[in-house]
Amino acid sequence: MSPLNRRDFMKTSMGAAAAFAAFPQGRSLGANEKVVIGVMGLGGRGTYLAQKFAERPETEIAYLCDPNTRRFARARNAVEEEQDRRPAMVQDFRRIIDDKNVDVLINATPDHWHGMGTIAACQAGKDVYVEKPLSHNIWEGRKMVEAARKYKRVVQVGMQSRSAPYVHKAKEYIKSGKLGDVYLVRVYNMMQHPKQADTPDGPVPTGFDYDLWCGPAAKLPYNPSRRWLNQWEYSCGPIAGDAVHQFDLARFLTDDIPYPNAVSQTGAIYSLRDGRDAPDTQMATFEYDGLTMMMEATLWTPYMKKITAGIRDSDQFPNWPFCSTKVEVLGTQGFMYFGRHGGGWEAYDGDGELVHSEYGRQADKEHQDNFMECVRTRKKPTSDVEIGHLSVLPFHIANISYRVGNQKLEFDAATESFTNCEDANKYLKRAYRTGWAIPENV
Amino acid sequence: MTRERSLHRLLFCVGLVATCCGSGYARWLEIRDVKVRQEPTELGGPKIVIEYDLEAGDLSAAKPAYVFLRYSKDFGETWQLLAPDYLQGNGFGMVERPGHKEVVWWGLGQTGVVDLGQVEVQVRGVAMARIPAGDFAMKSLPGAGRDESKKGRPSSDLPLYYMARYETTIGMYTDYLNEVGGEGAGWNRRMSRTDRCGIVQNSDHTYGVAEGREDYPVTYVSWYDAMAFLRWCGLRLPTEPEWEKALRGGFYLDGDKAKGQANPMPERIFPWGDEAPDANGVYRCNFDGDGDGFEYTAPVGSFGAFASPYGVEDLAGNVAEWTLDWYTTSYHVGLDGFRLVRGGSWMAVPEACDAVTGATQFPLKESSIMGFRGVKGPQP
Repeated sequence: MSPLNRRDFMKTSMGAAAAFAAFPQGRSLGANEKVVIGVMGLGGRGTYLAQKFAERPETEIAYLCDPNTRRFARARNAVEEEQDRRPAMVQDFRRIIDDKNVDVLINATPDHWHGMGTIAACQAGKDVYVEKPLSHNIWEGRKMVEAARKYKRVVQVGMQSRSAPYVHKAKEYIKSGKLGDVYLVRVYNMMQHPKQADTPDGPVPTGFDYDLWCGPAAKLPYNPSRRWLNQWEYSCGPIAGDAVHQFDLARFLTDDIPYPNAVSQTGAIYSLRDGRDAPDTQMATFEYDGLTMMMEATLWTPYMKKITAGIRDSDQFPNWPFCSTKVEVLGTQGFMYFGRHGGGWEAYDGDGELVHSEYGRQADKEHQDNFMECVRTRKKPTSDVEIGHLSVLPFHIANISYRVGNQKLEFDAATESFTNCEDANKYLKRAYRTGWAIPENV
Repeated sequence: MTRERSLHRLLFCVGLVATCCGSGYARWLEIRDVKVRQEPTELGGPKIVIEYDLEAGDLSAAKPAYVFLRYSKDFGETWQLLAPDYLQGNGFGMVERPGHKEVVWWGLGQTGVVDLGQVEVQVRGVAMARIPAGDFAMKSLPGAGRDESKKGRPSSDLPLYYMARYETTIGMYTDYLNEVGGEGAGWNRRMSRTDRCGIVQNSDHTYGVAEGREDYPVTYVSWYDAMAFLRWCGLRLPTEPEWEKALRGGFYLDGDKAKGQANPMPERIFPWGDEAPDANGVYRCNFDGDGDGFEYTAPVGSFGAFASPYGVEDLAGNVAEWTLDWYTTSYHVGLDGFRLVRGGSWMAVPEACDAVTGATQFPLKESSIMGFRGVKGPQP
């Protein structure tokens, strides 16, 4: 394939929606035929997903893609140990999109590539497993939903705790009324992150197509110490990127409450003063109909611990006061501690006595199973794209509040925009680099 | 009978195992004719004297042998490392010259034995390179081994240490398994693949090396396997700075104290300099593809002409090497996280075989592209 310049990319992939509307909706697979997968993004998560799907008897990995060739070997080795087929190693994800024999795209890139990769795949008749957070910004998330619906694609978001049985039991417990009426849910994401080292910008390493890596985002000077996760250009921030798991669970436990009406937020960078964009401290209150959700997030609290591997898949609970990824559900008659990552849950009555508890297990495999089942049956997956959109949307609002000076923002669900701050509306959609754009009509 | 006479009666030599297995430095060094005897002492209990011949040709202060001894007092049932604190003589630790060596084992605690016939001693040597104390051009951003947020950038001014000149081989690792492996600790089924490793578990839980595979680097070893083997030797994994300095060389190759030999290329990209691994059709290390002559791993030392300034070989390519350091990521802070792996491998693109590229791996990961080498140095 000759390398496409950015203008050609728009014409042949993203812009020519009409042509793709007539494109066949994926291959018809024979009963014993494997589902063929391309993986874009070969960081830790992408490599893990590539290995897990390579292990499955009904799938095979045809492509492993990353603009940085230094990431090839680890992922290729992980896949080749599990399947006979040797994957093609490519830097440009368009090789995956253009290959009619590829059925599924796994998108494990940084946030700024989630939208374009997923939409292009949907247009090309492929189903998608895209990592959380679904989108870089609110508008892009909505476009991803539209693309999935228009091209009738299965799009699963990597919020795997939703597939865990213990989570469903917690929801049933709450629905049964044992906590009474739930009016408040507190979501925590408190941990210790490292400071970025202070090093000068440097040359792009050989073998790394940095221009392609930046893609739709601005091409900031290359700096090996700068983590994409901490920059608005490439991410919705480390808090959103991680907390979306437990916030999604909070929404699930409260019957998938859709849109907040207003968000109050206060954010700052107190401790990790290293040139990052995203705050290291963020407290937000999300006003829903009949329910308030709160988020407490910090990145400088070493005593707050993620649930350890030993607890996640065993019959143990975390130390709740120091659990960095917990959810607290407060009802008129009872209280629940809930842990992400297989942390289980414990319910207390009006006197503060423990009355029920359930251990948890992680659900990565169940989530992947669910995706593959939906690829076959064409049903909506557990963490469907729209669920992903509504779970990250509150964080986008909180981040926008931070960027307009910690202002309270009122949100209109119908237009997915702000009603009380025009400055905030400028952040609904990102600025695209010339030649890279997602069209209004996907 | 006087006590002296009875002690003298205990003196006898036990002709013992020649511990080395083959030629060259690719595996254990050539150690022959190990003899053990017990002698009385005037003041304390008896001492045990171990003699052997070290037949490695080009030993020097810059390229010594690291010699370690393991002993058993119960006919080879259980073994322990002989701690250097109790040893005297010229035949243990860093040994700079070949020839006849003597180690005296005597000190606090019981060293004498009633029946020397119960005692077995294994003497093994690893080819090392000396890396003098001093600063170097550290380009990468190591995980620092600990929480980055607490310690900041690690120092590039390292004390003296020694690094194994070769990656740990299948022959060496199999030797270790035959002492400790038993029913499978340190071995996994993938190791029996002869194209990518070649260690076979026999039905009696002993281990054998597939034909011709002794000199290849051991693979499918987890970080824990690597640590256990090196602890068995009295070594440890290198930190990331130690690994990188061994590749680049310090600003002064004879160290910051002497400052007599400036490093002509302190910021070199590869051990040999800046030329690409396949520049001008010359293959300088084992990376992806078989243009370098190897589809998978290569026997250690196959690219001897392209060693680092200290004579450490195969830092670029062949197998990626576990280091001691782990990596704090946004998602894994507080957990037993990824370990850092350096040096590219037979599956890597040429660029990834450079001084600074690293990858992260779960410590339990067993892979055909990962191996390790040991270091003798101060506690990091």
